Amino acid sequence: MSEAFETDFWKDAAQRKSWDAIIPGEARPTLPYRLTLSAIQRYCQAVGETHPLYFDEDYARKSRYGGLIAPPSIHILLMFACTPADDWMRSPGTINAGQSWSYNQPARPGDDIRLEARALDKFIRKERLFVVHDNVFFNRRDEVICSGRGWTIRPA
Amino acid sequence: MSDPFETLAVGDPIEGAEFAVSRASIRAFCDASLDYNPLHLDDDYMAGNFGRTSFGGVIMHGMTNFGLITRMLTDWAYDRGALHRRLETRWRSPVKPGDAIRPRAVVKAKQTTGAARWVTLDVVVSNQRGETIATGEALVEFPPS
Repeated sequence: MSEAFETDFWKDAAQRKSWDAIIPGEARPTLPYRLTLSAIQRYCQAVGETHPLYFDEDYARKSRYGGLIAPPSIHILLMFACTPADDWMRSPGTINAGQSWSYNQPARPGDDIRLEARALDKFIRKERLFVVHDNVFFNRRDEVICSGRGWTIRPA
Repeated sequence: MSDPFETLAVGDPIEGAEFAVSRASIRAFCDASLDYNPLHLDDDYMAGNFGRTSFGGVIMHGMTNFGLITRMLTDWAYDRGALHRRLETRWRSPVKPGDAIRPRAVVKAKQTTGAARWVTLDVVVSNQRGETIATGEALVEFPPS
């Protein structure tokens, strides 16, 4: 699916909300996303993940999970996969200052993922413009996969 | 067989694998994460002052740290029948192509609740110069005894 994803973050940049226009508490529009095995394994290879739970169907079938799963940090991919091109999360120059995530159910190949997200807070510290965003990813059974917050410094 | 939770002690270390950062590894992370922010790709954009910060060149995604820490924690937890339940991180310093980074963790505390047993870990990522790149805290769940 990444072939259909707009990789030029400058495109639509003018449509994205600036720090001034972001309203804490306001929901962010999101996109549904089908997580594929190839996307999971592409992510795994980028961070050196080699565990058989992500690659070996026989091993995974006999495990507590009963099949292949994604590593918990797959939300790194899901965040951008579920974010529309005109969303402020894609503004060029957005600096990630830190994140916290809690994990419930593992994401699996074939899962149809849904994201509920919003800006939670914004503030100025040391002349930098911060926004806190919070996010919950669900599978098709409306089970929580993971939930988390991120602190970003917005471009000036 | 000994109980993995019971054998753990405060101060026990965990060492993750070293990760070599290159333009190719950063590009691979762009494709894997769909995060194509020019911070990670555009030398011209990163050459000058960037708002209140000057990086002097492209930088690795901060979330690569997150992925490497997660890899260390899950490999450790899976081997012990445990579950990685939470990770909180802060990025302390940018990482650039040519750097080599490694996550580590130390058992900070153990606690038992009504339904499970928990281990809190302090996490740090450092580079080849011993500089701290990222810090954090993780929570791993072990089944009840």
